[in-house]
Parts: sequence; structure tokens; C-alpha cells
Amino acid sequence: MPDESAHPQRKIIHIDMDAFFASVEQRDDPSLRGRPVAVGGGHRGVVAAASYEARKFGVRSAMPSVTARRRCPDLVFVKPRFEVYRAVSQQIRAIFAHHTDLIEPLSLDEAYLDVSEDRHGLGSARAIAEDIRARIRAETGLTASAGVSYCKFIAKLASDQNKPDGTCVIPPSKGPAFVAALPVSRFHGVGPKTAQKMERLGIHTGADLAAWPLAELEARFGSSGRWYHRIARGIDDRPVRASRQRKSVSTEDTFGEDLIAHERLAEELQRIGERSWERIEKADFRGRTVTLKVKFADFTIITRSRSMAGAVGKKADFLRIGQDLLAQLMPLPKPVRLLGFGLHSPVVEEEDGPLQLGLEI
Amino acid sequence: MKATIERAVLLKSLGHVQSVVERRNTIPILSNVLLEASEEGSLRLMATDLDLQVDESVSAEVSQAGATTVPAHTFFDIVRKLPEGSQVELSAADGKMQVNAGRARFNLQTLPRDDFPVIAEGDLPTRFELPAATLRQIIDKTRFAISNEETRYYLMGIFLHVADDKLKAAATDGHRLARVTVEKPEGADGMPDIIIPKKCVGELRKLLDEVEGTVEVSLSGSKVRFGLGAAVLTSKLIDGTFPDYNRVIPTANDKLLRIDPKSFMAGVDRVATIASEKTRAVKMAVDSDKVTLSVTSPENGVAVEEVPASYGSDGLEIGFNARYLMDILHEIEGDTVEVHLADAAAPTLLRESDDSPALYVLMPMRV
Repeated sequence: MPDESAHPQRKIIHIDMDAFFASVEQRDDPSLRGRPVAVGGGHRGVVAAASYEARKFGVRSAMPSVTARRRCPDLVFVKPRFEVYRAVSQQIRAIFAHHTDLIEPLSLDEAYLDVSEDRHGLGSARAIAEDIRARIRAETGLTASAGVSYCKFIAKLASDQNKPDGTCVIPPSKGPAFVAALPVSRFHGVGPKTAQKMERLGIHTGADLAAWPLAELEARFGSSGRWYHRIARGIDDRPVRASRQRKSVSTEDTFGEDLIAHERLAEELQRIGERSWERIEKADFRGRTVTLKVKFADFTIITRSRSMAGAVGKKADFLRIGQDLLAQLMPLPKPVRLLGFGLHSPVVEEEDGPLQLGLEI
Repeated sequence: MKATIERAVLLKSLGHVQSVVERRNTIPILSNVLLEASEEGSLRLMATDLDLQVDESVSAEVSQAGATTVPAHTFFDIVRKLPEGSQVELSAADGKMQVNAGRARFNLQTLPRDDFPVIAEGDLPTRFELPAATLRQIIDKTRFAISNEETRYYLMGIFLHVADDKLKAAATDGHRLARVTVEKPEGADGMPDIIIPKKCVGELRKLLDEVEGTVEVSLSGSKVRFGLGAAVLTSKLIDGTFPDYNRVIPTANDKLLRIDPKSFMAGVDRVATIASEKTRAVKMAVDSDKVTLSVTSPENGVAVEEVPASYGSDGLEIGFNARYLMDILHEIEGDTVEVHLADAAAPTLLRESDDSPALYVLMPMRV
């Protein structure tokens, strides 16, 4: 059972817009409705978002466009319109703000809300979630799914449960049983590689994970072991942090086989960079330091970064700087098992401050 | 290899080479300095980051010729801490180099000399000589304007070219521009336009402190080599096109302010004290006999200072980044600086006089 002795019962909602970018495009262009749509793509691009029609064919976000096209030959590619997504995101945040000030946005289309206060006396967190979903539908013409629970970890799992356009409530008494039945690959903090490692250890579900003693998990997974031990029991004390400011956005990938050739690494970096940039745009993150992380086959890690005077605003610049950082490491002393690539050093826009004018050069 | 060398001589030379070596390297040999003792009684020290290479020879007592490489920063730190006046004995054999001085003894790991990369200079068809003092002047008066902006990598160095039968050096970061014009040296005719990277500029400037007389400059479109007596600095050049900077040098700024650069700079420095760290914007109100400098900071308060000046046009208010203004004023040697103004949003020209070699263009801040 969750340890609630120290804290009163919290009520947390995770709101997740359904196929957000694709739904906005289908809303604004009736000819796209009912058809498989992918936002993003282009030459060497990746899918930023796929409509539900496209998902039936196995098209997923972060998938290379060529793969998506192969799986679904009728797929319609649409250029992303981030200014529209940002505007809709503002609309839904205003709806959240009607119910609580404790809003932690995760990206343009996803947020945690702490509604323990029940500002308007609706009586239950489920009622608040339904009110939010109804307002989102009325004001934006889009659907959202909600997960309602006593912690962030379970709320997020729950929002996925009745998607699209659904609500799932997991009360504290059902939390551990809910977690026990789910595959570990869906857990926050369990990436594809960790999931594979868990599979090899015979850990498939939350129940399998809960059977492992803390010391064993820490021995196998290091500092993450403690987190796995707690979530397997449905325990997550992380607060909803309204003031949360992202420090960085990055993507990393472990390769199937260790790589050393510059050409191969450059290809992988391009691929990771495309994905990373999608996430940067989705998170609406403005940063000025491009960072490349290299983990070698012997698990030693180096990072290289380069800072600009202002935010890196163009994908082409981001990718070029990353390739530059990689090129400077050549020739490599040993094979590489993982590359990470992202943006750090958030830039806060100063609106009314003095403005340095530039030479026309 | 066996050689004995005076600590002070070794330290000075290592000081030159160690700063070329990057602190972090994935290729181990790049952390090392090459030491080569020859029978004529000299010790050669060489370091590289693959873009920039320094090669220096000092006299030493050599009892056995040979060469090796040792970690540059470690070796530098050791020699730095050895007692003043000591004689340093170096002997390399079997993958180790022993360093003996007084009662201290070190055994350093070495890497083979043959693995040490040397920049292939290729053909350097343009050759000329420049007085060391001229080269110092070129660097000092332009380097502060070099850009750090990687997205415009072609601005990350000093642009050197021949135009109007003169040798011209320019640097800009898009906010300010500095240009120095000197006599065209013999041999510079037909030289390619080159951009010397910032790191090379910094190392060159350090070496120039110890050079009298002239510096031999040899270059091609991709490399430059500076011969400075015992030291040779070779660098790759920035592969890019420097923009046509003449377009941004104003020619019709008709409001002329004359002011003492020292009191102007001191005043800017004082009022900028209360500016918030990031912006450091200083406002200048220009009148017939004075400039009123002021800074208003929402957090800290207000600072005002009047500096005597001479000015014959309509009054004007204009803002500048204090740092940028001081960088320029610092390089003005005489007792008057001319500030040619147009309006509060236009490029401003600064120079000592119309025949001074250096010229600066500064964009204002909107305050």
C-alpha cells in the first residue's frame, strides 16, 4: 500500500491530448478527416505525430518517414504548424488554470494537474477531469484523455488506459494491483534497453518487478533500482511542480552494435537529431547550448557542447553543430555504444530590456 | 634521449606550447608535447591541436639525441613547480621519460614520437615580413571584436586582406567592427583573403610579446605560418567567406563629437557599475560642451556622470553596451577620440582621426 502517513491524499490528473498535432490538422482541414495522417516527414524526416487512422497501420511518432510510408502507402504527410499547436496549448492551459494553479506542463499536449483543492467543489477528481475534457472539446474541437490517481506515475499510466477520448480513475486502494498487471515497458523510467534487460531477468510485469528485493534491484540497476522498487508498489511522491522549467531536452540511443566509423555515426546522429528536434519543438524549448554525449563500448562517457549567443532556433543549425561536434572527435579511440544529442541552457526572453542593434553584415 | 636544460628556459617555452594543447582530448597523443633533442645542442618542443601547431627550439646540453612525447600539461606543471634556477635533466628510454632536478625525480609515461601528428603546410606561396610591433597593433586593435558565434564561423577570426594597395585587418561580431589599415608589405601582392582563427590569434599575440624586429608570414588559401625567431606557429585558416564589411562603415555621419577617451572610458565604467549584469546599457546625452552618461537599473537605482566634450550639432540621445564602448576606447592612444554619430539607431564610427590606422564601428542599443 502507498505510504500516505506523511501526506494527505493527493488528487492528480494527467491530461494527454489525443494524437494532438494530427488531430489539429484534421480539425483544420476537413479533407484529412478519416484518413491516415502523419505530421512531419519530409526528406530524411521522422513522424512527429500520427492520426489514429495511421496508427492502425503501425505508424508511430519518431518513426522515420520512409518506414511509415512503407507501412501505410496512403499516408498523408502534413507539415507541422507549431504556431497553431502553441496557440491551442495556451487554450488548454487556460482551461487547466480554471481548476488549479498547480499545473506542470510536460509538452504542448500533456500536463499534470494537482486538483487536491477542488476549487469549484465538483466533489471528485473524476468530475474535474470530465469538466476539463468537456471544455477542451467545446473550446478547441479536440479530444483529450485523462488519468486520475493519487500520484503522477499512476495518473500518467491511467491516461493511456482508455485512450482516445476517455477517462480512467485509479483510486489508492487499486493502485498496486493496477501497476502489478501492466508490462514494465510502459513504466516511466524503463526505456527499451532497460525493458530488454528486465525481460532477460524474467521481469515482465509490475508484479514480477515487485517480487524483487530492493538490494537486488539496486545491484542490477544502480540508483534507478530504488525508483523501480517504489513504483512497483504504486509509490511516487513526486510533487506536481508548477514552476518547473526545463533545463534541457535531449534524445539518446544505444546502438544494436558498437560503431566506430564516422560515416555510420554521422547517420545515427542525424537520425537521433531529427527525433531530438521534434521533442525540442514539442516542448517549445529554447536553449542555446548544443550538447553531444558519447558513451563508449567500455562505458566511459564524454560530452562535448557548444554555446551560441542566443537560442538555437533552426533545425539545420542544430544538426550542423551536432555533426561538427562529432567530427571534432574523429578519429575515435574506441567504439561507441550510445550517442545522445540535445539542447541545454534555456534562454529566457527579455521583453522590455535594452536591445542591442546589429550591423547589417 | 638525454638533455639538460635550465628550468627558466624550459618553462618559458613550455608556457608557449602547453596552451595550444586542449585540456580534453579523445586522442591521447594530442595531450602530449613532442620533445626532440638534437646533437647541435637544441631541444625542440612542439604541440598541436590538429588545427594549430607551435614549434619552438631552445638551447640545451644534449648528451644523447632522440625524441619522445610526454603529457604537456603535467610536464608544464612539474617544471613550473621546480625550484628557480635549477637544471632540469631529461632522459627518455623504454616508454618513460625521467625528469631530474635537484632532489626531485619524476617518471612520466611517454607515447612514441612517430605517432605525433604534424600539420602538412603544403605550398605557402605568399611570403612577406611584418614588423612585430605592427602585428601586435593589428591584433590588439581588432581581436576584441572577433565573434564567438559558431553559427557564423567565418566571423570567428581576424580577416586579413589586401585592398586599396594596403594591408587591412578586420574583425566583427555583428555588433561592432574593428579595422586596422597598414602599409602593404613587399610580397603581399596577390595574396588570398584569409581568416585567421581566434585561437591562433591568441597564441600569436603571446609569442609576439617576446619578439623584436620582424615576423615572417607565409600563407596559402588554407594555411598560415608565422616565423617568430625560435618559434614557428602554423595554423589552418577558417574556410569561409568574410562578408563585405565596407558596407557597414558609415560615410555620412555628420554629427561629430570630440572627447577625451580616458575620461570618457572612466565615466562609462563608473556609471555601468549599477547596470544589471546582462545588458550593461549606458545612455549618452550629447550636448554642445558635454556628454551626460547615465544608467538606470530597476533593481539598483540610477547613476549619472558628465564628461566634458566638444560637439557642434543638434543634441542627441543614444545608448551603447558599456563593454563594447570600453573595448574600443581602450585601444585609442591619443588624447581625443572622434565619435561620428548619425542617429540613435544607426552605426556610429569611432577613430582617433581621419588618418589613424584603426577605425571602429559600433551599433547602438535601444534604451
